[in-house]
Amino acid sequence: MKLLVVSRYDRAARAIATLTNYVKAGRALGHEVAFYSEPIDGLDVPTSRDPAGFDYVMFVVYETADFPDLPYLAHLVDRVPRERRIIVDCTGRYNETIAVEHDFNHLERMDNHLGWEWVDGFAAVAATVLQPTLAPRRPDARGFLFHGFNPGAVQQPYDDAELAARSWSQPKPYGMAYVGNNWQRWSQMRSLLTAIKPVQRELGAICLTGWAWDYRPDWAAELGIDGIDTDPGFLYDMGVEIRGNIPFDQVIPFVSQARFTPVIHRPLFNHLGLITNRTFETFCSDTVPLLMLPEPMIDAIYGPAARPLAIGDDPAARIADVSSRPAFYWEAILKTRAHLAASHSFEGRLRELVAILQA
Amino acid sequence: MRILFFMDQRFDRGSIQSMSNYVRAGCETGHEIVVYGRPDERFPTLRFSQDVGAFDYVVFLVESWRHWMSALRMPRIFAEVPRERRAIVDADGMYNPIVSTDSYDRNYDWEHIRLEWFAHYGTVTDRVLQPSFCPRQPGVRRVLFYGYDPAQRIDRAAAPAKHYDVLCVGHNWWRWRQISRELLPAIEAERPRLGDIAFVGSWWDTIPAGAAELGVASAFGTDPEWLRRLRIEVKPSVPYTDVVPVMSTGRINVMTQRPLFRELKILTSKYFEIFSADTIPLVMIDPDHAELVYGPAGRELALAGAIGEKLVDVLRRPRHYEEVVEDVRRHLLAHHTYRHRLEELVAALQA
Repeated sequence: MKLLVVSRYDRAARAIATLTNYVKAGRALGHEVAFYSEPIDGLDVPTSRDPAGFDYVMFVVYETADFPDLPYLAHLVDRVPRERRIIVDCTGRYNETIAVEHDFNHLERMDNHLGWEWVDGFAAVAATVLQPTLAPRRPDARGFLFHGFNPGAVQQPYDDAELAARSWSQPKPYGMAYVGNNWQRWSQMRSLLTAIKPVQRELGAICLTGWAWDYRPDWAAELGIDGIDTDPGFLYDMGVEIRGNIPFDQVIPFVSQARFTPVIHRPLFNHLGLITNRTFETFCSDTVPLLMLPEPMIDAIYGPAARPLAIGDDPAARIADVSSRPAFYWEAILKTRAHLAASHSFEGRLRELVAILQA
Repeated sequence: MRILFFMDQRFDRGSIQSMSNYVRAGCETGHEIVVYGRPDERFPTLRFSQDVGAFDYVVFLVESWRHWMSALRMPRIFAEVPRERRAIVDADGMYNPIVSTDSYDRNYDWEHIRLEWFAHYGTVTDRVLQPSFCPRQPGVRRVLFYGYDPAQRIDRAAAPAKHYDVLCVGHNWWRWRQISRELLPAIEAERPRLGDIAFVGSWWDTIPAGAAELGVASAFGTDPEWLRRLRIEVKPSVPYTDVVPVMSTGRINVMTQRPLFRELKILTSKYFEIFSADTIPLVMIDPDHAELVYGPAGRELALAGAIGEKLVDVLRRPRHYEEVVEDVRRHLLAHHTYRHRLEELVAALQA
């Protein structure tokens, strides 16, 4: 199969890590996966501006800007029949309007589109809408987890939990690090930081990497968007290091410099069961993931072996317990990695996608 | 004819008022004028449809932004509306070479951006219409587009009380240079002889967040302290349905236009809307330009030099200026109603 991916290729955001893994998986399986783009410096992916040479065009959409501008959009619509166009709806846009806490899937003052326009628009662009959730709400959306796990990217591929625990117990630059933008994450991050304050000295340095952790953009204040809150004074008082975006290919080694890494999903994503690249990628790093996710999602995605990694009601106690008996938790991590490799590999994902498209 | 307008729908700015006027003119002349979308309480005077294939023509009303011609909206047009049934009204003069006015206002900063716009237009249609008396770009058709709607007129008996001597209703978008260099000094000089003054609209006392990020910082400018010193009240923008009633609370309404629009002789809703209000409009364009739009009587309403004296004179001799305004309204009725505009638009689409 020849698959042309259409999206916005930001090296430090969105699905870039997932998409480069699709290219690799395609090579392994004899499929051709290319990006709809001019050649991209420093990125080992085939690119093309000629959709006619492909069997399917896959739009990977977080927001309207992920669609190409005219005239490229018109070329795609004119030259590829709708039945061969698919959308991966990464943020649950193809739903009725939903608001969860400060989070939302549609907000006209953010992007100038009413809720119904997302549904109408997606239906006009593509015959198939896929959502990275196990439980799509709409009958005409299909669940397809899209993101995946790359066992070959694991930083330290241990076979033995004791060995992993010993290695992990060596000093690391950070006690906890998080890589991700501060979009609809602050309430959870603040709760976590507040909870671990009592063990911060034992834990070590904390680092947040990504956009807008230390400031609230003026436009967010002007538009009254609360999901992008932060509290620079609180972060300063805790001594939290703030760093900007890092490229997708540096995420795994960077996270490996931390003993713990929270896995946080937006409130909307928890509500809709949507997953992200980081859901899987965190397990590639040499770190202990702290799963801040609903328990049913942990079971469904990671399997029962991951249950000990759920952060629970007392994060400080969880961190202390991991530190005191790391082999137990590394056993959970290694089993979960095995489960992810068996059930959520990118090669498996690409096979699923081919089956969906050719059904 | 059935015409579907596609536009950036903003209830307190842009060309939304003209859509309301077109709907009314269409009802009077047997044409069906509809805006793309679903009924929305913010736009009580409009008609909406999503059935893009059911119209004779789809007309895109494009102002200074085109992000609203998004991937969620355009694919249906491409699929259901043949190219020959599409047209663009290029309301802000984007379909031109780069035009810079006094190294201040301009349609583009960069040539590559202009080329992107042209490619965008070329993808949508070959039929580009401009509300200008003298389009410059080859292939563009002149369609003045905006007009006067006598049904919108508020006459003296129905007018609200006059709270202000001078009002300026509009947004501070590429206006500050003219306002700060011409209008405010004139007000300052005559302030004791003027009563209450208000500027109604966006960005008169703040610069919007993200202006620099979007590359439009130079479109904004303000001096809140100066406005306070001059006792100029700044009030927020109002819905399009309230614009004419609000204008009618002022004895004088001052109309400003972007320098680029003045340079390109581009019309806007405001040129005509202000004559629907119960007020004396004074327009900050040169007298020749005012005559071009409003007829000979319009020259006397042009604010070009001696602005302070003119403001005082209007307040001192309102009856005289009311007669001038009536002369202009007669000219507008004869040449610039929305019935005229709709006929011109239909002709342009059928050409």
